[in-house]
Amino acid sequence: MSSVPAAEVGVPAASKHRRRRSDLRLVLGFSAAALVLVAVGPYVLPDYLVNNLVRAFLYAVVALTVDILWGYTGVLTFGQSAFFGIGAYAAGLVFTHMGFSPAHAWLAFGAAILVSALVAVLVGWLSFYHGASPLYASVVSLVLPIAVTQLLYSGGTFTGSSSGLSGFASFDIEMNTWFWIAGAFLVLVTGAAWMFVRSDAGRVLVAIRENEPRCEYLGINVSRVKILLLVVMAVIAAMAGYAFAGVQMVVAPEYAGFVFGTELVIWVALGGRGTLIGPVIGTLLIDVSTAYLSGNLPFIWKLIIGLAFVVVIVALPQGIAPLVKRLFRGGGAVDPAKQAPALGIAREEPLAGLAGGGVHAISLHDVRKHFGSLVVLQGIDFQARRGELLSLVGPNGAGKTTLMRCISDGAERSGGTVLVNDHDIERKPPYDCVAFGVGRKFQNANTFDALTVAESLRIARTRLERPSVWTRAGVLELPEAALKVMQATGLDQKLGGEVRHLSHGQKQALELAMVLALEPSVLLLDEPTAGLTKPERMLIGQILVELTGKHGLCILLVEHDLDFVREISSRVIVLHQGRLVLDGTVTEVVESELVRTIYAGGGRIGGAAR
Amino acid sequence: MSTAALELADVHSGYGEAVVVREVALDIRPGEIFVLLGKNGMGKSTLLKTVMGFLPLLRGRVRMFDEDISGMQPHRIARKAVAYTPQEQALFQDLTVEDNLRLALRDDRMLKPGVDRIGAFFPFIPQRMKQRAGTLSGGEQKMLLVARALMTRPRLMLVDEISEGLQPSVIEKLASVFKAEREQSSTAILLIEQHVKFALAVADRYAVLKLGEIVDRGLVGAANAEQSITDHLAV
Repeated sequence: MSSVPAAEVGVPAASKHRRRRSDLRLVLGFSAAALVLVAVGPYVLPDYLVNNLVRAFLYAVVALTVDILWGYTGVLTFGQSAFFGIGAYAAGLVFTHMGFSPAHAWLAFGAAILVSALVAVLVGWLSFYHGASPLYASVVSLVLPIAVTQLLYSGGTFTGSSSGLSGFASFDIEMNTWFWIAGAFLVLVTGAAWMFVRSDAGRVLVAIRENEPRCEYLGINVSRVKILLLVVMAVIAAMAGYAFAGVQMVVAPEYAGFVFGTELVIWVALGGRGTLIGPVIGTLLIDVSTAYLSGNLPFIWKLIIGLAFVVVIVALPQGIAPLVKRLFRGGGAVDPAKQAPALGIAREEPLAGLAGGGVHAISLHDVRKHFGSLVVLQGIDFQARRGELLSLVGPNGAGKTTLMRCISDGAERSGGTVLVNDHDIERKPPYDCVAFGVGRKFQNANTFDALTVAESLRIARTRLERPSVWTRAGVLELPEAALKVMQATGLDQKLGGEVRHLSHGQKQALELAMVLALEPSVLLLDEPTAGLTKPERMLIGQILVELTGKHGLCILLVEHDLDFVREISSRVIVLHQGRLVLDGTVTEVVESELVRTIYAGGGRIGGAAR
Repeated sequence: MSTAALELADVHSGYGEAVVVREVALDIRPGEIFVLLGKNGMGKSTLLKTVMGFLPLLRGRVRMFDEDISGMQPHRIARKAVAYTPQEQALFQDLTVEDNLRLALRDDRMLKPGVDRIGAFFPFIPQRMKQRAGTLSGGEQKMLLVARALMTRPRLMLVDEISEGLQPSVIEKLASVFKAEREQSSTAILLIEQHVKFALAVADRYAVLKLGEIVDRGLVGAANAEQSITDHLAV
C-alpha cells in the first residue's frame, strides 16, 4: 500500500479521480491462506475434530456479529442467539413438517432471512429509538432470546417444545463438505467484516460508540444506522443457524436462548472485542476444547472456563487478540487505518449550505424553556437573516447554551416556535435540524476520542458524501473554511493523530472544522475560540466574518470576550435571566449601561483582549 | 530560602513515546501566584497532569512541600493538601452541587463554614445546593470547580485555564479570590492561562511554555513583561 504524505494541503479540486484505499489485497491474502487451511482440514484432522469445527465455525460467525455490534458500535447484545435460533428453526420446521427437497431448502432459507430481518427491525425499533439509553438496548436484547425460547416451549408438537426437533431429513452432504461450506462461510464473513469495519462507513460505527450526540448533530440518523446494522447482523446469524440445523439435523430451544447469547459475549470478550479475529479465535478455542474436555471433566470444566475468563480480564483486558497480533508483527507495524489521507478542497465556489435561502435564517417566536419549576428561558423572540453575525452575550447561567440547544433540537424547548431557513423544526431531532441547515458547535470540545483527526472530519462529511462500506477515500475533501481552521491551528499537521492526544484548544478547533465540514447555512457557535490564543482567535474571527460576508451564512455566536465580539459582530443580543433584554448594534450594546452592570465588571481585566 | 510549595527539576513527560514536556524547572513558594502561559498544544496541561501523577514522569524530579513525590500515585499526591482543577470533566455531573462540594472534604463538619466562605465569592452556590451539577451552565460549573478547590483549604492550587468561558466580571472576581486566598492562607497557586490580561493582573511571576520547554520567565511587575509574553505567544 502506498503511503500518502501526512498532508497535501490545498490539493486542487481537480483530484476528482481520488484514490480509494482499501485492505483488499491484505484481506484476500489472509482469506486465501485461511481457505487453503479449510480445504486441507478434513484430510489431516481427525473426524471428531472436523465435526466439532463445523459447529465452531458457525458459532464463530455469530460471534463476529456480536463483535461488530458490541466491539465496534458499543451495543452490548445478548440476543444474537435468538436470530441463530430463528435460522435453525426455519430449517427444522420446514424439513420436519414439509419434508426435505431443494425447493423446501430454498423456502426455509428465505424464511430464515425474512423472519430474522423482520424481528430485527422490530427489536431495533424498540431498542434504538431516538434517545434510548444503551442499557435499555441491552435489556431488550436479553428479553428477545427469552421470548423466542418461551415461544418455542409453548409450540407443542409443532416446535417440539423443550426437546426440540430432530430426525428430520436434511441435505445429503458429507461432513467433509460441510466443513468446507462452514469454513468458507466463516472466512467470507470475516473478510467482509474486516473490509467493512475499516471502511469509511465502518468508522461511523466507532463514531457512534464514541459519541452518539455528536453524530446526531452531524446529521447522522443514529437510530436508523443501528437498526440497519442489527438487521444485517441478524440475517448473518440466521444463516449460520440455518446451516447449523442442516448439518446437525437437530434443533432445540437452547440454541435460541440467552445462555448461548451470553456465551457469545464471553467468547468475544475472551478473544478481544473490537478485533474481529479475536472473537473467531476465542470461539474456536473454547468451543472445540469444551467438546474435548467437558466429557472428561464434567464439573471442573465450567470452573476452568470461568477461571480463564477471570485471568484474561485481569491480565489481558483487551482479550487475547492483541497478544496474537504482537507475536505476528512484533508490535512495530503501523495500523493502516490510522494513515492519514491527503486534504483537498471540496469545491471552489461559495458554500451552498445545506438548505440555505428563505426569508429568515433563524426565527424564534415566544420560545420558553423550563426544567420543572426552574424557568431558564421565557418569551424569546428574535429573527436573524443570512449574512448576519449575531453575537449572544450574557452572564454565566443566563440561558445562552440552552437557547442554542432549543434551535438545534426540536425536543428541547418547552414552548414556542423555532424556524430555521423558514422550516418549522417542530419536535424534530437534531439530525433533521441539520438537514434544515443547522450546524452546532458545543460549548465543551465534543469530539471522537478514539478516531483520528482525519476520520473525525470524514464522519462530518457522512451526510454529504455517502461513505463506502468497502474502502477508505484517499483524499479528504473539505470546504475551504474548514481547511482554513485546520491550517490556522496546526491541525492539518496532525491528520493521522488520535483526537485523544490533542490539547483542549485543538479539540475545540477540530470540532469547529467538523461543523464547518457539514456545510451548514446556520451556524451556532458556543464559545468557539475558548482555549485558543489571541492570534488563533483572530484568525478564526476572520474566517467567521468571511463565512457571513462571502458565503451568506448566518452565525449565532456565544462569546465572552467583548473585544472579539466588537470586532466581528454585525449585531448583538443580550440574554439576562432567561430574557432577551437588548438587541442592537455592537456599539449600542457593548457601550450600554446594562451590559456594564450585569456583565462586564470594572473592565480592567475582563473586557480586555487576551 | 524558604521551603518551596512545588519544585520541578528537569521534568520530562509525555504520552507513550511522544515527549511533550522537556527540561522544565520551576519553583513556587508559599503565598505566591505563578502563571504558566503558552499556546494550546504546547504542553501546559500535560505538565499539570504529570505533577498530579496522571502521566508518567519520564525524567526529572517533582517535590511538593519538600517531599519528593516523583512517581507517586495520583490519589496519594491528592492527599498532600493540593487542589487540582483540571480543564475538562472534573465535576460529578449527576451529583448535586452540595455532594460535589462534600466529596472534596475529609470532614463533613467543614461543609457549612466552607459554603459560607465561598458563598461570599460565588453567591449562586449556597442558593443552588440541591441542583444537579450537570445542569449548571458551563461558566457556573467552572466557578463550582474553583469553589470546591478552595473548600479543601489547600496549601497548593493547580488551576488549568479557569477563565475560559467566564464572563468578564466573574474573571475579575476570580482574580480577587485568588489574591485573597494567597494573602489569608499563604496558598501557593499555579495557574495555566491563555488570558494574558487576567494572568498579569493576578500573578507574581510567569513563565511561557513553547513546544514543551520554558522559553521565557520573569516577574510580572517587570517593565517589559507584557511585551515579552506577547512576543513569545505570537510566534
